[in-house]
Amino acid sequence: MDRILIVSVFVVASCGLAYELICGALASYLLGDSVLQFSSIIGAYLFAMGIGSHLSKYVRDEDVLPRFIDIELLVGLIGGLSATLLFLVYGWLAAPFRTVLYALVVVVGILVGMEIPLVMRVMNARKAEFNELVSRVLTFDYMGALAVSLLFPLVLAPKLGLARTGLLFGLMNAAVAVWTAWSFRAELPRLKASVRRAVVVLVLLVAGMGLSDKLNTWAEQGIFGDEIIHAQTTPYQRLVVTRWHDDTRLYINGNLQFSSRDEHRYHEALIHPAMQTLPWARHVLVLGGGDGLAVRELLKYRHLQSITLVDLDPAMTRLFSTAEALTALNQGSLKDKRVQVINDDAGRWIETAGRSFDAIFIDLPDPSNFGLGKLYSEPFYRRIAHQLAEHGLVVVQSTSPYFAPKSYWCIDATLREAGLTTWPYHAYVPSFGEWGFIIAGKAARFMPPTRYDVPMRFLDGPATALMFQFPPDMQRVVVEPNRLNTQSLVHYFEQDWGNVIR
Amino acid sequence: MDRRGFLAASGLMLVGCSRLARHGTPIELYAPGLAAGHALRGHPALPVPSATLQVDTVIVGSGVAGLSAGWQLARAGFKDFLVLSGPELYGNAAAGEASGLVYPRGAHYLPLPSSESGHIRELLYDAGLLDGMRYDEAALIHAPQERLWIGGRWQEGLMPEHGVAPHERAEQARFLAHMHQLANTRGNDGRRVFALPIAAASSDPAWRALDRINFAQWLDREGYHAPSLRWYLDYCCQDDYGIALADTSAWAGLHYFASRNGQASNADEHAVLTWPDGLNPLARHMAQRVGADRLRAGHALRIDTGAHGAVVLAQLGKRTVEIRARRVICAMPLHVAAHVVTDLAALGYDATLHRQHHAPWLVANVLLDRFPTEAAGAPLSWDNVVYRGRSLGYVVSSHQLIRAARPERTVFTAYQTLPGMAAAASRQHMLAQDAETLFADIAADLDTVYDWRWARHASHVELTLRGHAMTSPTPGFLDNAGLAALRQLDGPLLFAHSDLSGFSVFEEAAWWGVQAAHKILG
Repeated sequence: MDRILIVSVFVVASCGLAYELICGALASYLLGDSVLQFSSIIGAYLFAMGIGSHLSKYVRDEDVLPRFIDIELLVGLIGGLSATLLFLVYGWLAAPFRTVLYALVVVVGILVGMEIPLVMRVMNARKAEFNELVSRVLTFDYMGALAVSLLFPLVLAPKLGLARTGLLFGLMNAAVAVWTAWSFRAELPRLKASVRRAVVVLVLLVAGMGLSDKLNTWAEQGIFGDEIIHAQTTPYQRLVVTRWHDDTRLYINGNLQFSSRDEHRYHEALIHPAMQTLPWARHVLVLGGGDGLAVRELLKYRHLQSITLVDLDPAMTRLFSTAEALTALNQGSLKDKRVQVINDDAGRWIETAGRSFDAIFIDLPDPSNFGLGKLYSEPFYRRIAHQLAEHGLVVVQSTSPYFAPKSYWCIDATLREAGLTTWPYHAYVPSFGEWGFIIAGKAARFMPPTRYDVPMRFLDGPATALMFQFPPDMQRVVVEPNRLNTQSLVHYFEQDWGNVIR
Repeated sequence: MDRRGFLAASGLMLVGCSRLARHGTPIELYAPGLAAGHALRGHPALPVPSATLQVDTVIVGSGVAGLSAGWQLARAGFKDFLVLSGPELYGNAAAGEASGLVYPRGAHYLPLPSSESGHIRELLYDAGLLDGMRYDEAALIHAPQERLWIGGRWQEGLMPEHGVAPHERAEQARFLAHMHQLANTRGNDGRRVFALPIAAASSDPAWRALDRINFAQWLDREGYHAPSLRWYLDYCCQDDYGIALADTSAWAGLHYFASRNGQASNADEHAVLTWPDGLNPLARHMAQRVGADRLRAGHALRIDTGAHGAVVLAQLGKRTVEIRARRVICAMPLHVAAHVVTDLAALGYDATLHRQHHAPWLVANVLLDRFPTEAAGAPLSWDNVVYRGRSLGYVVSSHQLIRAARPERTVFTAYQTLPGMAAAASRQHMLAQDAETLFADIAADLDTVYDWRWARHASHVELTLRGHAMTSPTPGFLDNAGLAALRQLDGPLLFAHSDLSGFSVFEEAAWWGVQAAHKILG
């Protein structure tokens, strides 16, 4: 009799710690800042266990055994499915993730907190010596903790993954319940009901195990594959920075903004074809581009006296001015004394911009909603033209001419509608695919450069010549310019990507 | 003179100031012109003027009609004139401002000018908003334009579609095709039947007979019974005329749908022009052409005409001044003119016989510290209407801003008429309510579409109560002999107001202003 209870304590303790570790690991994985996540989850979990211990005294003596079995089943079910549930919530219902996380931590904590006191009462009722009892229970409790704390990071998490580790421990809890019920079947008044419940829980957990791969793939469609080194929700967007080996990536609202492995292709293509032809340029404006990578390229030109960067989100520019991993990427460009960072809506800022600029780089997010669509409109481009020096150039990041041809050529048509002459071009950025840009100017003069005066990783004369040629599968399509009255670009963008993403 | 000076000097009356019990949000209640207008009733004793001014022409009223007259005079190089603001500068085109956000206190949009509205195109061209067929895109209504809350969700557009039976949808389509056909229909004199301004409309009696029945009777006659369509048409009648379907002249009801045939090279024909502060930028443009030195804050107490000119007794702030002029353009509503102009009956307008129906309006401007959380369906649009709601919906003042992200704060402007009641009774009703009750009623639709907590984000509410906001085209309005007489005048006293057309839209008001200016210029 004692043996079964002692094994139960060992298993129960292992499971209790396992759920805590799973929640902590999941939270740091999805939310970032692992010290904060682990501390707050361990704190909440231990506190909830305290509540559970307190509540255990309300279980009547004659009910201790059946309640213990029920609690084991409940812990097995909730704790076992917790990781899977959290993945699904995070992947598909981003908003209440924290609420669900802490609710689970508290519920599992309370149930786990009731286990040990109940076991001790069961053993006490069987006339075990009190000092013997305390010593044995706590010994196995701590041994179970040690076993899991080593197994979890070294074997279980890497081999099984968080979701299946959770389910495995759930099964162990349920097994304890079944074993206990079987061993004490003579003392249990409603054995059949207990067995029925146990069967239901076991079936659910086994089914969860079988489906866990499918569920995980489904959940992780909304989640990033790599380690998250920074995650933050600002009033404007959700910023996530991930790293895998030497590849640092920025996601805004889940959309990839750059990968450090190939961003030089994107930013060289954005900046240098225009800048190489403007040796007289002194003052440059960048709209968007709060990552400072475009500015890094611009700082290569010694003749520039000022670079004004207007980005909506102060959190974004702060992050890329201070975080070490990121300032290493942009070479501290946002802190350069020639650079002025302004946090404002580019639409509002341009209405009151006092001075004119020799080059303007528009590096805004894709026109995926009506608000962003307004910054790809004819009135906006007229405002831009108004702030542009007579022989200056504008460069617009213009989505992909391959994946989103209607959107790309719509931006071109809109720039022309605003009275500008355009020179569309494209470059291959592996993490994005074929990407498009448009150079526009008031004067009808621009020749793609045949050489570059500043050091370059990607571009040279022949590569540049190719960028300005559009092969047969990327030819211009005839589309309406983006009018604020209809915002055709937002609709084109939806259609284009609707055709690409399955 | 700056805005503040105008507010101080004019009769924009702050009737009440209270707080929403639920959230402590302050509510201000304005009733422009109420005090100045009601003081004129019952032949009050008039103050003695302390000074005399001499000018060739004085325009009394600074609404769209008065400012259009002044704008047209100024454009022609005519300098010897004054504009007297009346109790509210800009009249129904007035706007307010709170925390750096502007919003309309009255009318908020202008459809693309119809083929007959050369005067509007001229104004838009002058204001730099029109170039050939191309309108300033920032002023053209931005997508998404309109949405309707129906069956617990938002649909695009105001014509009910969600959950509406196919036979009703077919009837809606038949109606719109019918209106499209009427838009191109000409009378026996070769003019468009439903031209805008109506001065350019056909005088064909066969078509004008439609003015003798109401719109509901016409719809019955033509077999338009679908409840969803009838609701939409009733909504449109209230929105443009302040009265219900059954009170609207059938001619006027059809005019709403068949007159607007504007074309733009960069928008569809149903597009409208609008600004965050409604139509105020157009009024301001005209006021700027008039010139600050010619625009005076004050209102007329009496207008006398003689053989050689006219005399306007005017209250300019605390001073009473007699303005002697060769000609006067009376650009005030006719029910006010009846108290101000001496012997209006001698000019052919009998205030009892020719009296028009006036609809009261309530405009609520709600300053929000953040946008409320939206339900599923069509996204927040410029105009947002609740199917069978208590109000005429709400317009988002920040919609026309060119911004990537929503601004932190915005103003929702909700409109309401009380078409169920007789006009006088509804005015009494609105005046008798306290601000909180008025607001609760107009905001009921917001409670419907948002979680009730939306009002927590309201940091200020301004109610503008316009007891005589607009003249409504009830059956028979086309044959009002008093109006015909005033339109014909070409003596010392001229009239310019949308009341001369019998309904209150920008195009009509501006038309009469421009006509009066042409008479002055000869």
